Amino acid sequence: MAIEVPVKMFRCKAGEAPRFEAHRVSVPDDANVIDVIDAVWRQDNTLMFRHACHHASCGTCAVRVNGYEKLPCIVPVREAMAGQTEMVIEPLRNFPLVGDLVVDVTSFFQKQAASGMVITRAAEPSLDGRAYERAEVFDDAGRLDTRPYNRFENCIECGICLSACPTLSATDRFFGPAGLAAVRRAVQTTPDPRRKSLLLALADSDHGVWQCHSAFECTEACPQDVDPAGAIMALRRELAVRKLKAVFGLGGH
Amino acid sequence: MATRTEPTPRPRRIWQWGDIRHRNLGMIAFILNRLSGLGLTLYLFLHMLVLSTLAQGPAGWDPFIEIVKAPWFLLLDVVLLFGLLIHGLNGLRVTLNGFGLGVRAQKPLFVGLMVIAVVTGAIGTWLIFTK
Amino acid sequence: MSAPHVIVIGAGSTGAATAHDLALRGFRVTVLERGEIANQTTGRNHCLLHSGGRYCVKDQESAIECIDENLILRRIMPEALELNDGLFVAITEEDLAFKQLFVAGCVACHIPYREISPQRALALEPFLNPKLLAAVQVPDGVFEPWRFCLAFLATAKHNGASVRAFAEVTDLLRSGSAVTGVKVRDLRTGQTETLGADLVVNATGPWAGEIAHLGGVDVPVQPTAGVMVTVDRRLNNMVVNRLDKPSDGDIVVPQRQTSIIGTTSWTILDPDQIDIPKDHIDKMIHKGQELIPAIAQRVVRGVGAAARPLIRKANTDEREVSRTFECFDHKYDGVEGFVTISGGKTTTARGMAEKVTDLVAGKLGVSAECRTRTTPLLSYRLFYN
Ligand SMILES: Cc1cc2nc3c(=O)[nH]c(=O)nc-3n(C[C@H](O)[C@H](O)[C@H](O)COP(=O)(O)OP(=O)(O)OC[C@H]3O[C@@H](n4cnc5c(N)ncnc54)[C@H](O)[C@@H]3O)c2cc1C
Ligand code: SF4
Repeated sequence: MAIEVPVKMFRCKAGEAPRFEAHRVSVPDDANVIDVIDAVWRQDNTLMFRHACHHASCGTCAVRVNGYEKLPCIVPVREAMAGQTEMVIEPLRNFPLVGDLVVDVTSFFQKQAASGMVITRAAEPSLDGRAYERAEVFDDAGRLDTRPYNRFENCIECGICLSACPTLSATDRFFGPAGLAAVRRAVQTTPDPRRKSLLLALADSDHGVWQCHSAFECTEACPQDVDPAGAIMALRRELAVRKLKAVFGLGGH
Repeated sequence: MATRTEPTPRPRRIWQWGDIRHRNLGMIAFILNRLSGLGLTLYLFLHMLVLSTLAQGPAGWDPFIEIVKAPWFLLLDVVLLFGLLIHGLNGLRVTLNGFGLGVRAQKPLFVGLMVIAVVTGAIGTWLIFTK
Repeated sequence: MSAPHVIVIGAGSTGAATAHDLALRGFRVTVLERGEIANQTTGRNHCLLHSGGRYCVKDQESAIECIDENLILRRIMPEALELNDGLFVAITEEDLAFKQLFVAGCVACHIPYREISPQRALALEPFLNPKLLAAVQVPDGVFEPWRFCLAFLATAKHNGASVRAFAEVTDLLRSGSAVTGVKVRDLRTGQTETLGADLVVNATGPWAGEIAHLGGVDVPVQPTAGVMVTVDRRLNNMVVNRLDKPSDGDIVVPQRQTSIIGTTSWTILDPDQIDIPKDHIDKMIHKGQELIPAIAQRVVRGVGAAARPLIRKANTDEREVSRTFECFDHKYDGVEGFVTISGGKTTTARGMAEKVTDLVAGKLGVSAECRTRTTPLLSYRLFYN
């Protein structure tokens, strides 16, 4: 079965004023929003959008669907259209615009590189770093148990959290949720105390964790359960404890 | 060689930080904190200004007390009270979270603290107007 | 004299690896890609860094290419590979009978392998079908396709290449019987411009036939689509393959938080218009459960399809076509300055690039040797710099 979707697509070519273009596309009823964008592209192949994997591992396709930041490759059309009469598709906020749905992610990736946090590890014995017994992953009735999989490496560098961040809508200089989450993971995983200090200094800088206004919008929007705001709070705690220790001369640096 | 097109930086407008469309509860917390913070700063300045006139003795003092007793001024007191409560209690959430406390429960924490702010504020208002 | 200018059309794995090899050998390189990097076949493939195990019985030429390239990529590519190995598991007696052939194939193709007991396999992969009869471990891996291409392109850029996404080649410039450049439409501005080149490499995968037509030559590419179904949870850590000859839905690849079941195969006419048949999705879910029953308890997170740029040969079923690549020098079709590289796999992209760059270097009289086997690639993030 197919469903008809009325689309309002954000269009903008370099040097022109942005506008919304109306389209009507027909997609299978179990399609995801990326299929809607693809269907619009089939009608007009000058539409610029980023996509690669269609299963939420590359992180390129993030856009705003009816105002909210989403990964269109994993959001069902049905869900996106619930209570809506049309689908408005726009690029992410807080990034320079290249055109149409494409934003410039250069400075974002530079920030990600600064922490040196690697999101794809060559080997992992299991999701949270240990091997599981069969009995641990199934309950007595043979049902699947929830395994913990909330780790920073879930981050696919999609930029959604940056788009959702109110601090970043006021300044570009803030290191940003994903970047700080990466710093936090790097702090956790590095065995090198010098590197750890450098990373903490980065988090402690003018554009680090203290610039966050605790809106938690990043955690709310993140499609991968990375919880960047939680990471920022954890860094604050670590920094605060270090500072207190230093003040009271307890041997912290 | 090839013509390069630089990405267009999108202009930031002052209202952008106050744009709550397509955002969630956290944005409300953020805005409340900013507005109350700005309000309190303004109040602090006014307060200093007034204090400096008061330092000139009873000549400055008496007319001031007149103004302060006017009902419209009492209303300003109510605004001040709410500002203090919201900013203070929300600040408490931010501080707790910053120490890694209640991070997972930050939403209920915010709602709870705001309920406390409203209830205390209401009692305060009642006291201001009746006493 | 400045170095010869080579234009590479297409930034899938083939184009990306080719740009890297060319830049490393000192060419001036411009990559033109009509969409995002890896937005087509490469981006939407199964992410399997082949050990060659899947081909070691029926297509040993491919298998040997795979294991060679697999071992090279392990050394040169940082941050884009997960190297947890793969398991070939026998579920039925029929599968079990295939084991001997499989093991002999591994030996013939020098693929390191290790037979492990079903108990051990279940201990390693608790979600496996507990009814498994045998398991063989091979050095399969997983790559993240977009970052895979970025790593090559980041290094190419570092060596002077210019990479332009959202720049669509709309025509080839010709002078006499030679291709001398391209016409590009920059989608960001909507403007069309011309770019001269000493040689043009057509690395457009399933579109190679179309681009070749612009140059007045014919390339027998047969776009063959395949479906991948992704479930919302990572259920395996090693790649899980069915111990049998390749068939539909016989492999589950872990990718980050998810597991991807694949794949099917059907011939399509236009790679721009792939409509995914619904029964293929159901088939994936059904067949995938034979390997990992817990798939039944998960929800589908994403469905994608892409077209393999297979080289068409007469009288064969789609799956029988050799998956090894072809490199065409169109001088033999009477057109100079134009080369097509197609077919192959993402796993073998570097090897394909080596072959096409050897050809280009020979044609343009450049004597630099290929160094991509040992040159470490930069982090994909440095593509943005
Ligand atoms: C379902 C499926 C599963 C697969 N699984 C695996 C696997 O697990 N492991 C593996 O190693 N291989 C796998 N493969 C094979 C592998 O994906 C392909 O061989 C490889 O991606 C081909 O790369 P390519 O660069 O040649 O083509 P593509 O990735 O398709 O790149 C061609 C590029 O050219 C661009 N282009 C087209 N026309 C123009 C134009 N006019 N101007 C500019 N640019 C243009 C396109 O946008 C595209 O990006 C799989 C293939 C399929 C179909
Ligand atoms: S933290 Fe989440 S939202 Fe931010 S870039 Fe990573 S995956 Fe995307």
